[in-house]
Amino acid sequence: MIPAITLLFPILIPIVGGVLILFLHFKKDCHREVFSETVVVLTSAAVWLCILFCRSHPITIYSFTSGFSITFSMDGLGCLFAGMISLMWPLVMLYAFSYMKESARKNSFFAFYVMTYGAANGIAFAADMITMYVFYEMLTLVTIPLVCHYQNHESMYAGRKYAAYTIGGAALAFFAVVLTTLQSGGGTFLYGGDLRPGFDPSIMRIAFVFGFFGFGAKAALFPLYSWLPTASVAPTPVTALLHAVAVVNAGVFAVMRMTWYVFGTELMRGSREQYFCLMVAVFSLLFGAVMALRERHFKRRLAFSTMSNLSYMLLGVMLMTPDGFAGGMAHMLFHGVIKMSLFLCAGAFMHKTGCNYIYEINGVGKKMPVTFGCYTLGALSLTGIPLFCGFISKWKLLEAGAGEGSVFGLIGDAALIASAFLCAMYTLTIAVRAFFTASEKDHYANAVRDEADRMMLLPILVFTAINVAFGIWPQGIMSLIGRIAGGG
Amino acid sequence: MGNRIAILLVTIPMAGAFAACLAGRRRERAGELAAAAVSCLTLLLGILLFFFGEGTCEIPVLLGAGLHFQVDGFRRVYALVTALMWAATSLFSLEYFREEREHLLRYDFFLLLTLGATEGVMLSADLMTSFIFFEILSFTSFTWVIHEQTAEAIRAGYTYLFIAVIGGLVLLMGLLLLQNSAGTLRFDDLREAVEKAGSSRRVFAAAVLILLGFGAKAGMFPLHVWLPKAHPVAPSPGSALLSGILTKVGIYGILMTSLTAMAGVRSYGLLVLCLGVITMVLGAVLALFSVNLKRTLACSSMSQIGFILTGVAMHVLLGAYGSGEGAVTALPGLMLHMVNHSVIKLALFMAAGVVVMRIHELDLNRIRGFGRNKHFLKISFALGALGISGVPLFNGYLSKTLLHEGIVEGIHECPGLTVPLQVVEWVFLISGGITFAYMLKLFLCVFVEKNRDAALQARYDADLPCMNVLSTAVILGSALLCALLGQPFITLRLAAVMTGEEEIVHFAAFSLTNLKGSGISLGIGALVYLLFVRRVLMRDQRYLDLWPKGLDLENVVYRPVLTRVLPGVFGRIARLFGENLLLRPLAKGLLFCAAFLGRVLVTSMDALVVFLNRTLFRPRRIKGIDEKHPGMWRVLREEVTIGARPLSQNLSFALMMTCLGILVVLGTLAALLLR
Repeated sequence: MIPAITLLFPILIPIVGGVLILFLHFKKDCHREVFSETVVVLTSAAVWLCILFCRSHPITIYSFTSGFSITFSMDGLGCLFAGMISLMWPLVMLYAFSYMKESARKNSFFAFYVMTYGAANGIAFAADMITMYVFYEMLTLVTIPLVCHYQNHESMYAGRKYAAYTIGGAALAFFAVVLTTLQSGGGTFLYGGDLRPGFDPSIMRIAFVFGFFGFGAKAALFPLYSWLPTASVAPTPVTALLHAVAVVNAGVFAVMRMTWYVFGTELMRGSREQYFCLMVAVFSLLFGAVMALRERHFKRRLAFSTMSNLSYMLLGVMLMTPDGFAGGMAHMLFHGVIKMSLFLCAGAFMHKTGCNYIYEINGVGKKMPVTFGCYTLGALSLTGIPLFCGFISKWKLLEAGAGEGSVFGLIGDAALIASAFLCAMYTLTIAVRAFFTASEKDHYANAVRDEADRMMLLPILVFTAINVAFGIWPQGIMSLIGRIAGGG
Repeated sequence: MGNRIAILLVTIPMAGAFAACLAGRRRERAGELAAAAVSCLTLLLGILLFFFGEGTCEIPVLLGAGLHFQVDGFRRVYALVTALMWAATSLFSLEYFREEREHLLRYDFFLLLTLGATEGVMLSADLMTSFIFFEILSFTSFTWVIHEQTAEAIRAGYTYLFIAVIGGLVLLMGLLLLQNSAGTLRFDDLREAVEKAGSSRRVFAAAVLILLGFGAKAGMFPLHVWLPKAHPVAPSPGSALLSGILTKVGIYGILMTSLTAMAGVRSYGLLVLCLGVITMVLGAVLALFSVNLKRTLACSSMSQIGFILTGVAMHVLLGAYGSGEGAVTALPGLMLHMVNHSVIKLALFMAAGVVVMRIHELDLNRIRGFGRNKHFLKISFALGALGISGVPLFNGYLSKTLLHEGIVEGIHECPGLTVPLQVVEWVFLISGGITFAYMLKLFLCVFVEKNRDAALQARYDADLPCMNVLSTAVILGSALLCALLGQPFITLRLAAVMTGEEEIVHFAAFSLTNLKGSGISLGIGALVYLLFVRRVLMRDQRYLDLWPKGLDLENVVYRPVLTRVLPGVFGRIARLFGENLLLRPLAKGLLFCAAFLGRVLVTSMDALVVFLNRTLFRPRRIKGIDEKHPGMWRVLREEVTIGARPLSQNLSFALMMTCLGILVVLGTLAALLLR
């Protein structure tokens, strides 16, 4: 056993390291690269140290008043989230070094990129609503400079929009944070929730809906979704890691915390509010899929697909059954892996060819066979084809929908199936274009093999390998997730 | 020992695919030869399995629940048929692809993967295993359709892919519902589990979804649209497999659910009957109108799938009415028809492949007269055509007679369905007749008539030999297999093996009533050919394409709905609720309140100034300022409009300000409450 103070390392190391990068003057690029990679790897090591050895009491850093403090602790859900991002961050860092080679203002980019890691870990390890809320806002703030990184008109607009939507969303959620802090034991997370008895449940349900939409804004829930496609102007490492995994999943994570660890499902099960939220998630997932199909910009298409998939997870949580919760968590993990590989492939393509649109992909498979081979596997997985991990989580979600018992669960299932079909259409057409369609302008007709460089290929290959491995041997991780969903 | 072969049958081709790929990297020819060798090895294993295989086996842990296989009568036969088809086509493709070597390695790689997956489906013991291999083969066989990479092939490829995906997903949903209500997906336990579960509506819904999912691959109406498009563009060995085996994979799934979960459910039987009859007639009519050699064969496949589905429906219906006698004819009939159709289509598509290989044409008017002096090809095609038309002594006769017998039994056994089934009987006979008519059309066109262009005909006549010895042996061999399967003492024994019931061996194949049915059908066919094909579909000795171009389910319904209607509707809803009705009015309203408050404050200040001016200070005129003051309401309105202008351009900034406001309010509230 190691002392609880270890819990602070994953949060403090990247934040301090990030601030240092901001002020240090690096003579060569490689110095900065080594420094930031070291910080990130150290952080990941600290995360795993905590996950493996630190299962102790919560640790309070600062107490404003009684029952209103910054406190951290570890539990299953937090471990899952932190464990997931801790595997991704070091790898995507490598990708980012090579992607950002020609960019200006690298210092600020990597500084904020590293700081974001700390904020995300803070959300994962938060022990109560207030702490989570603080780091949630912090996550928004430190990612704004990343979205605005190119500092042209488009990205400034995207940054403002991002800020408005997510801060606005958090403001909605604040209502739920305040009410639950008052009505439970200081908003401390406890599986099953610990609302005080005797409080008017109808008001709490309304607070829940506020919280759902508020935290949902970060998970691009309809109607607060439009920041996500706009924000895809950011550099690809940001879109991949933050806007497909860390930031958006933080939204889903917050909804999970709120539903299962604060409000508890007994309050909501079978109520009108539950089904309202469920139907919003259903609409959102269909809507995202349809809009992705309509979109012609490669990264924006993937962003809409992220929106759709985030709503899968919210759907799973809103079913309010342990199965649904497990499905949501599994999809959070697997979608993260899949979408990461898809975005990195998209980034490699855009970096290598300078093209942004889907019709420019025709025939590029000859030029970049490994990248688009991995893309194809990711696309199949996202659609939910067996042998890949996307199938496992989708099956779990479908099972939960059918097992929920009411007609709404079945509607959710039907929507999942429909959106999976749309997903096949919007992802696989790209793969078909890459490999089977001849280019109109013929610029790849005589192309020789010309892949992205190794630093970019490595993360792509690793994520694809994880994708297949979890698809073929899902038992271990699924039983772990099942235990977390059951409160173990 | 026997059941291990089942696992080998699945894994060896899949491992062989990678081996062939590696070999092909080194030397081009080696990949092809390796693919052929692996197919032949699989055939060997198939034969071993046929004689020695029995029982069940599993590969645990993989993919969650593990993979389960089973070897029994029907599965044993179909695993063998599959291996046989693959061996024959891969030997034929050694010559077929001699000229066009582009993407050959890719073709061979996916060919072997598909072989493994197909064996996996055919030997699966539970629906989950079937589903997994089904999905694999859907995606791997996609590369055959798109192989040539022409614009047409890509369009057909997309159709195939999306129908496959939607089929797979619908199937998944069905599996899920079945798992949810029955608690198991193993074929052996399914029947009892369903009876015990009792929630018949959910099970029925599941069965319908499974029917549609597998039906998409089988080419069942309304998901048949890929079939007539994919076959003409695929390379001929690929079309033979698509039509001969992959459609049967779909039928396998339908058959297995019908025999277990849906055994004796009347409404399910009626549904399958309707879809089967529509598929049967539609396919036959489409084939009759077609002027493309492979398209005709593809539509014919669709029609034959309709025959098989009708058999499935009759089996279920007869089970529903309790006599159980139906199993004697309908079930062996449909199983035999599956085998027959596979073998026939193997011969026919390979024969068509020879035409493509020599002259790269499929249009009947162009290829007319190609086979006039090519006797081996002529005999092979004739044997296949006679078989599929159901001429006595050839293989289709027996299975069609059994299916017909099944319908006739249904007329006697199913009270309340007598009249509809009589209609079905006639439709069955007429469809059989049309089959004869279009096969006659093809045969006469390619092998008997002369081309209108004499020079072309001379070139065709000089084109000898049209194939090498190996291909001749393979094609002729599969055609002779058709003839062999026409002999009742062999075929009925095979049927007994497949169904596990011995009685069928004593079926009187050439009794007078049975010959009469076949006679009626062939008579109708001859009439259709003479009166319709020669009079209507031919003008000045040319075959006309009279099928209306616009009449295509895919182009009229499916594509527009997916590409235009759905996004349009969703986009409109999103704009309406997302921004125009919800966010923008909200933000505008908040801005109005703020502006109003500000204006009130300012006006009250103004009032103070005016009051002070009147009382304490002397009013002072400032030059240059217009005397006319706009009214307060006008100023207010202008402020809102101007305030909202950046809003419509930049909603987000306004939102942010709004939210900051809310934050402050809520923060204060919280601070107050917490105290």
